[in-house]
Amino acid sequence: MEPPENYVLEGSFESAEKIILRWDSTASEEAREKMIFEVKVNFAIQIAMARLEDEFRNILLAHIHAFDVDSLATDPSSSSCSRTESGGDHFDDDDEDRQQLGQEQEKDHLDSTTSSTTYDVLKHSESNTSVSSSYRSTSCIREIELIPEETIEDLKNIAERMIAAGYLRECTQVYGSVRKSAIDSSFKRLGVEKLSIGDIQRLEWDALETKIRRWIRAAKVCVRILFASEKRLCEQIFDGVGTAIDDACFMETVKGPAIQLFNFAEAISISRRSPEKLFKILDLHDALVELMPDIEIVFDSKSSDLIRVQAAEILSRLAEAARGILSEFENAVLKEPSKVPVPGGTIHPLTRYVMNYISLISDYKQTLIELIMSKPSTGSRYSGDPSTPDMDFAELEGKTPLALHLIWVIVILQFNLDGKSKHYKDASLVHLFMMNNVHYIVQKVKSSPELREMIGDDYLRKMTGKFRQAATNYQRATWVKVLYCLRDEGLHVSGGFSSGVSKSALRERFKSFNAMFEEVHRTQATWLIPDSQLREELRISISEKLIPAYRSFLGRFRSHIESSKHPENYIKYSVEDLETSVLDFFEGYPVSQHLRRRSQ
Amino acid sequence: MPATDYQGSFLGRISIRRNQVMSMEGNHEQELEDLELFQKHVADRFAELAPPSPSQPSDDIPSDPILSIAWIRKLLDVFLCCDAEFKAILIMGRDPSQISKPPLDRLIPEMLDRDVKALDICNAITNGIEAVRHYQKLAEIAVSALEQRPFGDGQVKRARKALTSLITAMACEDKDGANYTRTWSFGRRGAAAAGNNKSTGQLRSLSWSVSKNWSAAKQIHAMSANLVAPRGTEASGLALPVYIMSTILLFVMWTMVATIPCQERSGLATHFPVPKQLVWAQSIIGLHEKIAEEWKKKEKKGSAGLLEEMQKLDKLGQSLIEFTDSFQFPAEDERAEEVSAHLAELGETCRRMEEGLVPLQVQIREVFHRIVRSRAEFLDVLDLNGKSSALAM
Repeated sequence: MEPPENYVLEGSFESAEKIILRWDSTASEEAREKMIFEVKVNFAIQIAMARLEDEFRNILLAHIHAFDVDSLATDPSSSSCSRTESGGDHFDDDDEDRQQLGQEQEKDHLDSTTSSTTYDVLKHSESNTSVSSSYRSTSCIREIELIPEETIEDLKNIAERMIAAGYLRECTQVYGSVRKSAIDSSFKRLGVEKLSIGDIQRLEWDALETKIRRWIRAAKVCVRILFASEKRLCEQIFDGVGTAIDDACFMETVKGPAIQLFNFAEAISISRRSPEKLFKILDLHDALVELMPDIEIVFDSKSSDLIRVQAAEILSRLAEAARGILSEFENAVLKEPSKVPVPGGTIHPLTRYVMNYISLISDYKQTLIELIMSKPSTGSRYSGDPSTPDMDFAELEGKTPLALHLIWVIVILQFNLDGKSKHYKDASLVHLFMMNNVHYIVQKVKSSPELREMIGDDYLRKMTGKFRQAATNYQRATWVKVLYCLRDEGLHVSGGFSSGVSKSALRERFKSFNAMFEEVHRTQATWLIPDSQLREELRISISEKLIPAYRSFLGRFRSHIESSKHPENYIKYSVEDLETSVLDFFEGYPVSQHLRRRSQ
Repeated sequence: MPATDYQGSFLGRISIRRNQVMSMEGNHEQELEDLELFQKHVADRFAELAPPSPSQPSDDIPSDPILSIAWIRKLLDVFLCCDAEFKAILIMGRDPSQISKPPLDRLIPEMLDRDVKALDICNAITNGIEAVRHYQKLAEIAVSALEQRPFGDGQVKRARKALTSLITAMACEDKDGANYTRTWSFGRRGAAAAGNNKSTGQLRSLSWSVSKNWSAAKQIHAMSANLVAPRGTEASGLALPVYIMSTILLFVMWTMVATIPCQERSGLATHFPVPKQLVWAQSIIGLHEKIAEEWKKKEKKGSAGLLEEMQKLDKLGQSLIEFTDSFQFPAEDERAEEVSAHLAELGETCRRMEEGLVPLQVQIREVFHRIVRSRAEFLDVLDLNGKSSALAM
């Protein structure tokens, strides 16, 4: 058969007519005419339908331009929300909050005397908050006009005729394939990528954080605007034409892209767990929780089960990932193996990291309280270790599992630090180190109201007691022996040539005191207590014991020394000298620098 | 355990020690037994998938043709069973530290790497099934068009248009996601047909959901890269089930890639890296050979995949196109009968696709989940044993 364009319609009917008449001469006139008529009609219909199909396709193609992402920045009052705006703007705001938090971390960073990479992991550097504000209007479902209304009328008419003639399949096929490419281009504009799970495993987490952020923004637009609008378009064009055709068309168009969109979130949810991933995973989780009601509205038919189910699965995997990461984190804190003692007994990077981490956790309290449902596992999980810290859960009745986890983290942090402290050769430094670090923990807890509320003042008191005890232990370790030189016993002798004080013993005492004090002074000037208040308090406490003891010693015994040869070899320090020297303690740099400063 | 006689303290001591050793070996024996069973089960399950050989008497229950939707679903079921048994052997009731000992300390991470590739393949296949549904719909147009009797010009033309799209789409499928097929391809079905779609050509209804440089063939190749049968003492330890499961995974993924359209299959390996003498692998090797043969035949011509229903669509479609090409009203009786028979078969094939494709997608999803879960369990064990994940302090 030759293409219809090559000959006149009439001609073909004539030939068909002749053949029919020749073929069945037994049929009645009426039957034959009916058959001829039917053949003509079918033929005409097919040609008409082919033309309509092309017309349908062309009209659709003319309106295939990519979804204009930038137009979303326009005034949201120009569109209608099909839902009242709930906490929808929360997440756009949060981007800015997180940036602020990043700045707070900066302050701590300046205090640190350790490496500069300390907080890179926890910094939420939001370099483009300006972009987030342009998506403020994606807080609820908002259908936009993908195709002008007049055009929709045309499309609707064509669709009705095609479907009435039994050409439904052709119609939906054309529709589906054109709209699918429209969505494809919109995806490109929104930055929805086609990354495989393998790709995502290989990317650095930093890069992934950026992608997650972008995905969250894009997903809101896709679900609430793009897909919702496509659905409305289907409804407008295929409305009232047979059962659920608009739905079938919609799914035909959107199923592939929707799955592609969610595949990214899924890949993140199954990536290997490590502590720095927690907060972005929670962001992703929260974004998806917020989107779920809209996903259920947009994908409300039976045929879109697959998509709803996938979204729900991803959500539960993200929750699981969050739980798993928390466990990983606890495990990592317990086993953190570095043995190199921090110089000067100051705050260990582990302490800073952990306390910043749990402060951030307390920011995500709202989400995590729902996700963390079981108590920390102690005991058998760590049975491989020689000893593990314990925690008496009985006295922590009434606390949420999340709070228990946070307390547990602090417990294991202290346990680990305790082990690290043993690497200091100087026993005094062991105590100073613990004092510094536990004090830091207490300060951090106090500085965050949520954290403080979860940890609870009881445990806070316990830790305060602990660092005060460490201070006491330090003093005992260092000063007992120094002050021992200034004791009264053993200096008095009776009988013999001189009654009263043994000058040789006294000289020994002064010499020992001087040597010990010098040693302690020289060493402990390089030690550091970063917290100025704590530093002052400890120095005052030392002075309170040292100065009166020395003053009284000097007072009672200087005359004996001064009456002998070379008193300056023995009485090296005046009381004022000692007072000044105490000020050098715990400053974190060597005495020579102090002397240089003083002589200037 | 054999009874031991106490014959004096010295021998008594030996007996005690033997008892102790026996009780440890008892566990070892149990393990060997489990491994034996596993191999047997694997062999049996895959034997059931083998197509009946011509020499066998045909059973009352007709088996599903190899590479049909139903057969693929059975294959996936077999995979799930094997995976469950594999996990039971390797993880359940076992001291986790055993998983970290050589050679597992190397083999398990390699297996987990394969798992990731398999997950990507699952996603690609799920996406590819949408293409298959597209073919089904084109075929359904032809079926419904030609249902009317007697055959009329209009419907025949309609059918021809759909069938032409179908055949062309299936032939060009493997190319990457170009949005337009070129009109010259219609020419293969006869220059006359080219006039119909001269305006814009058909839009492809599917662009791949994977990035441009993702290649199914490369994924398969990477999965088989370090798959080496354990030798010597390793062959009786846990390295063996790991190897078996990895082989099964590779075979299943390879089969799906060969069967269902997905991006970039050119160069798909047809060599199966499994030593021919392994007993448990015989059925798998047999299946692989058959499928590889088919693949080699079809690859030259360009093919959407070996799915039996798609092959049917192709064969029936082509013969029906011949009919439509040469159709002149009215059709002769024998021709009409022949065509009706083909149509019925085509309709039946479409029906099977309608019933089976979505459940197949669901099942692939299940396989996806299972692989994710297995991988997560092994990662947990590895993390428990290994050094702590470094805190990025």
